[in-house]
Amino acid sequence: MFKKPLALAAAAATALGLLAGCSGGGDDAGGDKKTLKIAAFEGGYGRDMYTELIAAYQAKNPGLDVRLQISKTLEDEISPNMKAGKFPDVVVLPQGRKAALSETLVKDKALEDLTGVLDMTVPGEQTTVRAKLADGMIGLGTNPYGDDKTYLMPMFYAPTGLVHNKALFAEKGWKVPATWDEMFQLGETAKAQGVALFTYPTAGYLDSFFFALLANVGGDEFFTKVMTYEQGIWQTPQARQTLDITTRLLSYAAKTTVGYANEQDFTKNQQAILDNKALFMPNGTWVVGEMKDAPRAKGFAWAMTPLPAVSAGGKRHLTTIVESAWVPSGAVNKDAAKDFLAYLYSDEAAKIFAKSSAIQPIKGIASSVTGEIAGFYGLYDDPSITALVGGFANSAPVEGVSIKTTLFDTANSIISGDKTVEQWQAALHDASEKLRQAGS
Amino acid sequence: MTSTVTPPLGDTERKPGRTPAAAPGAATRRKRGDGRFVAVCLLPALALFALFMIWPTLSVFRMSLYSWSGFSAQERFVGLDNFAKLLDDQQFLRSFQNTVALLVIVTVVTMGLGLALAAVMTRQKLRGRNLYRFVLYIPNVLSVVVIAAIFSAVYDQENGLINGTLRLLSLDGLQQVWLGDQSVVIYSVAFAMVWQALGYYMVIYMASMASVPEELYEASALDGAGAGRQFFTITLPLIWETLRTTLTFFILSAVNLSFVLVRAMTGGGPDGSSDVLLSYMYQQAYTNSSYGYGMAIGVVVFAFSFLVSLLVSRATRRPPLQY
Repeated sequence: MFKKPLALAAAAATALGLLAGCSGGGDDAGGDKKTLKIAAFEGGYGRDMYTELIAAYQAKNPGLDVRLQISKTLEDEISPNMKAGKFPDVVVLPQGRKAALSETLVKDKALEDLTGVLDMTVPGEQTTVRAKLADGMIGLGTNPYGDDKTYLMPMFYAPTGLVHNKALFAEKGWKVPATWDEMFQLGETAKAQGVALFTYPTAGYLDSFFFALLANVGGDEFFTKVMTYEQGIWQTPQARQTLDITTRLLSYAAKTTVGYANEQDFTKNQQAILDNKALFMPNGTWVVGEMKDAPRAKGFAWAMTPLPAVSAGGKRHLTTIVESAWVPSGAVNKDAAKDFLAYLYSDEAAKIFAKSSAIQPIKGIASSVTGEIAGFYGLYDDPSITALVGGFANSAPVEGVSIKTTLFDTANSIISGDKTVEQWQAALHDASEKLRQAGS
Repeated sequence: MTSTVTPPLGDTERKPGRTPAAAPGAATRRKRGDGRFVAVCLLPALALFALFMIWPTLSVFRMSLYSWSGFSAQERFVGLDNFAKLLDDQQFLRSFQNTVALLVIVTVVTMGLGLALAAVMTRQKLRGRNLYRFVLYIPNVLSVVVIAAIFSAVYDQENGLINGTLRLLSLDGLQQVWLGDQSVVIYSVAFAMVWQALGYYMVIYMASMASVPEELYEASALDGAGAGRQFFTITLPLIWETLRTTLTFFILSAVNLSFVLVRAMTGGGPDGSSDVLLSYMYQQAYTNSSYGYGMAIGVVVFAFSFLVSLLVSRATRRPPLQY
């Protein structure tokens, strides 16, 4: 009989395959050819731009073996290896993800200092990386320890603000409010017509909302103080005003908001904007692609506005999300990684990224944005609007304390009446103090 | 492979009351070399078990005594600090309450319904019972993500199955925001868990009930026992061991399944009101970069499930009934 030896051979092959699988991803067997391992998060921009980019870079560097790992659950895939000491050389990952990999490594001081990359000449070009970067991009978001050392290279940037339907405003003859007073007036007008003023996909989307509001209410300095957990900052009148404005706004929230504010149903909250059931929601450029197949009101047109000013003529901030690239301290080919980072700012790379609407903070690139999100980037041209980059500083972790959860998620309890604004303020004060005491 | 000797059954007629244990003399016939052969065969499995089960479990216990972010080399020994902090952590206590609530509700409801359905299906010769069994079992093979999507449609506050039906029946007052009301959401999760698990336990109970000899029912019927009496005095005592086994499953699923379901359905929201122990542990260990603290929660989960299993097993011990 042939069957038995065959089956045995198959079993042996499977077993060997399993063993090989376990040891896979180990050492590069290709002799002295260096391997550059790039790990990228597959977000709303898709994966094509990365494969195209890697192919272009590989063609330029035949002596290098460039490997790309791209995934929607990147952290789950690279973390186990990282814990075992095998690090990718370059990682491109947005901050504020649930797994908080970037944040954890920042807290751990486990990132490579990339200040030198800024002064490197972009491969194939004459200019340095620093000269190509748009103004104001190097800040708390790239230098997480508040000094002049850059650890996170700004990769893509996108404005986040109050997303709405331009057509509805035109149709009803409503003006997009520039102050909070106008905002609440509009709230009453809209309510009379059965339209809610506000909704949010999930409470986590309030991050950009709060950052801009804090800066609008108290100015840049106040914003930085809140983000760095200054002593007693949540007991100041400005902090209270921020929470009061938010509470008032939340009283105008669509009544379906909280019930849909979870991972499963958040698109139903976004649908409320498309259906003209709610006027504003905090969101970013990606919502256009995310909802592209959703039904919508006739003539619907995406638009974004920054948060209203506290008083007429006041400053308005536009929270800007920056996706960053970094090199873990444990990476093997740090020099090759830095060369690659510099290449990312080349015209060639920028063109590949821009095709997928991934806009880099390079001078003069915003004008090349086309399509529905062009208006979103157009906001930066308004002189009364200031870009705001950054978020809560990375303190040492404190067990059981998360200022983000306390600030954002409580909104659900405020709408449902389970918590009062006083409790909110007290909890924020408590969390902020604990994080400050933990230090960085 | 054929070298293991199967003991001949001796006189083949099995007497009631005597378990079919190994026939006498089989052990003496076993060659000495067999023991060594068995040991060698077991070794790979034992090694894998030690490497992938025992060692990680011990690591959890070790890590719970450290303050560690998960990646760096900076592990700081903090003794029992992590556990002391747990006692002050309101959100941890809320997650613990939720887990216990799910454990109690899901166990009681699933077990009750599962038993009732199994009894009806085995005892009453229902027409089309295979179809019912099939339909009730389906949820068990669905992925949790699919279940979350289904319940997103069931619980939808506007056009959902429940609220829609209530509106149809003019019972608008009973409508709820099933996943948005902080006092209701945990019951919504519990209902989804019951729906998912019911078919599985029903099939287990049915299999167990099918082995109860028919004569017992016939004899009791002659003595005038009704279906209810039969269930409590014949069926229940005779499937007692199966019930005890499933109780352990319930404890495991309340801890594990609730995590996946909560993560897919509510994300612990609104405002942390549906967090369970494992979802809070995940949050702390990863999102909040407090790996050691997360592992301390892991230790609590371990101790809790171990203890509850032990208590349940002790409390339900009965001398085995034979028939």
